[in-house]
Amino acid sequence: MFPQADRQLCGNPPNLRPDIGTQRLSRKDKKTTRAPGGRNKLMMSGTTVASQSAVAGVAERKETAGRGRVSNDSAAGQPLLDVRGVTIQYKTQAHLVTATYRVSFSVLQGDRFVVVGPSGCGKSTLLKAVGGYLAPTEGEIRLKGELITKPGPDRIMVFQEFDQLLPWMTVLENVVFPLKTTGTLSGKAAIARAMHYIEKVKLAEFANSYPHTLSGGMKQRVAIARGMAMEPDILLMDEPFAALDALTRTRMQDELLSLWDETRFTVLFVTHSIPEAIKLGSRILLLSPHPGQVKAEINSVPRGQENSSEAAALGREIHDMLFADQIEEAPHVANANALGG
Amino acid sequence: MLQTQTLSAVERPNIYCETLGPEQFGIIQKPLTLAEKIYNQVWLRKIGILVFLALGWEIYGRWLDNPLLVPPFSAAVSALMTDVANGTIPLRAWASIQVLMIGFASGTLLAGLLTVFAISSKLGTDFLDTMTAMFNPLPAIALLPLALIWFGLGSGSLVFVLIHSVMWAVSLNMLAGFRGVSTTARKVGRNYNLTGLSFVARILIPAAFPSILAGLKIGWAFAWRTLIAAELVFGVSSGKGGLGWYIFESKNQLNIAEVFAGLLTIIMIGLAVENVVFRVIEKRTVQRWGMQS
Repeated sequence: MFPQADRQLCGNPPNLRPDIGTQRLSRKDKKTTRAPGGRNKLMMSGTTVASQSAVAGVAERKETAGRGRVSNDSAAGQPLLDVRGVTIQYKTQAHLVTATYRVSFSVLQGDRFVVVGPSGCGKSTLLKAVGGYLAPTEGEIRLKGELITKPGPDRIMVFQEFDQLLPWMTVLENVVFPLKTTGTLSGKAAIARAMHYIEKVKLAEFANSYPHTLSGGMKQRVAIARGMAMEPDILLMDEPFAALDALTRTRMQDELLSLWDETRFTVLFVTHSIPEAIKLGSRILLLSPHPGQVKAEINSVPRGQENSSEAAALGREIHDMLFADQIEEAPHVANANALGG
Repeated sequence: MLQTQTLSAVERPNIYCETLGPEQFGIIQKPLTLAEKIYNQVWLRKIGILVFLALGWEIYGRWLDNPLLVPPFSAAVSALMTDVANGTIPLRAWASIQVLMIGFASGTLLAGLLTVFAISSKLGTDFLDTMTAMFNPLPAIALLPLALIWFGLGSGSLVFVLIHSVMWAVSLNMLAGFRGVSTTARKVGRNYNLTGLSFVARILIPAAFPSILAGLKIGWAFAWRTLIAAELVFGVSSGKGGLGWYIFESKNQLNIAEVFAGLLTIIMIGLAVENVVFRVIEKRTVQRWGMQS
C-alpha cells in the first residue's frame, strides 16, 4: 500500500492551493457528513478519503472565490471552469457504465490544467462533458458561472484524431471556417486572424495546402491554430499528441508551451502519459481508474524543469498514486471512445 | 571452459560504420524503349482496342453483305456524319438531354430532401429504408404504363420515370455517405454551433461527397438508360422526339445504318458525361481533398 503519499497529500497544504480558507476542516467535516450513505461504501480505502478531503478543499476555495466575485477583490482566484461533483454514466448495449464518479475541480484563468489517469478512468468522457457533448448524470459544469448544456465555440476542442480537419478545406480555410460560421469575424479580419495563428504554429507556407498533404504533426498544429484563432475561454485538448511518434510529440509539447508563453491561453489537457502531464501541466488532476474519481490535484514542477530530480520524484509519486489500487481492466473502454457524435 | 567460451562468443564489440553520401552513387536507371513507353499509355491501349473492334465490325459487315442486318462500320459512321451535319442527331440528342436534365435534377433534389428528412429522425430513416427497399428494385420502365395514364403522352411521363430511376439510387448513397461521416467531423461541426440545415450543408454534404458523387453517377446511368428505353416505347413528345425515337423511326424505315448511328451517339454521350463531366468534378473535389485516390 502507499498510504504515506496520500496522507501527505491531504495533510500538507503546500500541495493544495494557498487560497484555500482556514475554515477548511470544519467545512470538510460538514461536506463529509452531508454525503449520502451510498458514497461511504465507496470510501472504504484510505486513499479515497484523502481525495475526498482534497475535493472538499477545492469546494471551499470555490465558495470563497464566489464571494470574492461580489466584493471584487480576488479576480485571479475566480475559477474559469468549475466542475462540481460530476458523475457521468452512459449506456452500452448491455451495461450502464459509470465513467466518472463525483469529480470536482476548478480551472483558473491561464491554467495549464492536465487530467491524467490510466485508460478507462473516464478522463476523455469528462472532457466531452466539459465540451458539452454529453450531460453529466449528477453534478454540474460551469464556465464563467454559466452552466454548460451544449457544445459551443467558447470551448474549442482539439481531438486526437487527424480527421478533425475538414478535408475539403485548405489549412487557411479550416482555420477561417469556425471564425466565419460562429460570426466571430468575417472577411479580411477573419483571414488576418487565421494567418496570425497559422504563422504562430509555423505553417504559413502550407496555408493553401489541403490537410491530406500534411503530416500528422502538422495536422495537429493546424487543429491547435484553429482552436486558438477562436480565442476561446478554454481550449480542450483530448490527447492531441497521442497518435504522433515520440520525436514529433516532444517537439509539439515544446511548441505548445512556447505558444502558451506568448498568449497565456487556458487549456484543459487530457493525457495518459505522466511525463507529458508533468511537462505540460501547471496543475495536475489525477483520476483513479474505472470509475474515475479524483485521486489528487497537485501542482506540477515549474516550467522547464521537467527533467529535474523533482520532476522525477513527482512522476514516481503520481505513478504510485495511480497504480496504488489493483487496476481492473475496464471492459467498456472502446465504447467510451465511441461516445457522442 | 565451454561456458566461458559461449559467454565470450555472445560478447560483441560495438561497430561503427562510415556511410556513403548520395553523390557517391551513380544513379542506376535506363530509359524505356519507345515501344514500352507507348504501351504504357492507357488511353493508347484503349484506342487500340476500339480500332480492333471497329475493324472486326467492318470486316464482318462486308463479309455478310446484308445492310439490313449488320451494315459495316463505315456505313454507320457515314450515316452518323450525315445526320450530325444535317442537324437531325444534335436536335434529337438535345431533346433527350433536356428531358434528362429536368428528370435528373428533380430526382436528385427529391433524394436530397428525403435523405435530410431521413437523418433528422428515426421515423424518417425507417421511411427511406422502406421506400428504397420497395422501389429501388422496381425498374422505372415498369412504371411507364401508369405514367402514361397519369401524365399522358409527353415529357411529364418521361420526367416521372426518370425521377423514379434517379431518386432511390441517389438517396441510398447519400444516406450511406451521411452515416459514414466520422464522429470527429460531427463533433467539430457541433463545436462551432452548426445545427440543422447549416450542419448538413457545411459538414455532412462535403464529408459525404464521395458517396454522393458515386450515387449521382449511378443515378445518371440509370436515368440515361431509362430515358432511351421510354422513348423507344412511345417516343414523340410535343412533336420532337429524342434519340430513342430516332432509333425507332430509323428501324421502321429499315435504315439500319442510322439505327447504329443512334446507338453510337448514345454511347458517346454516355462516355462523355462519365469521363468528362464526372471526371472533372472528381478531380476538382474528392481527389483534390484526398478523400479518394
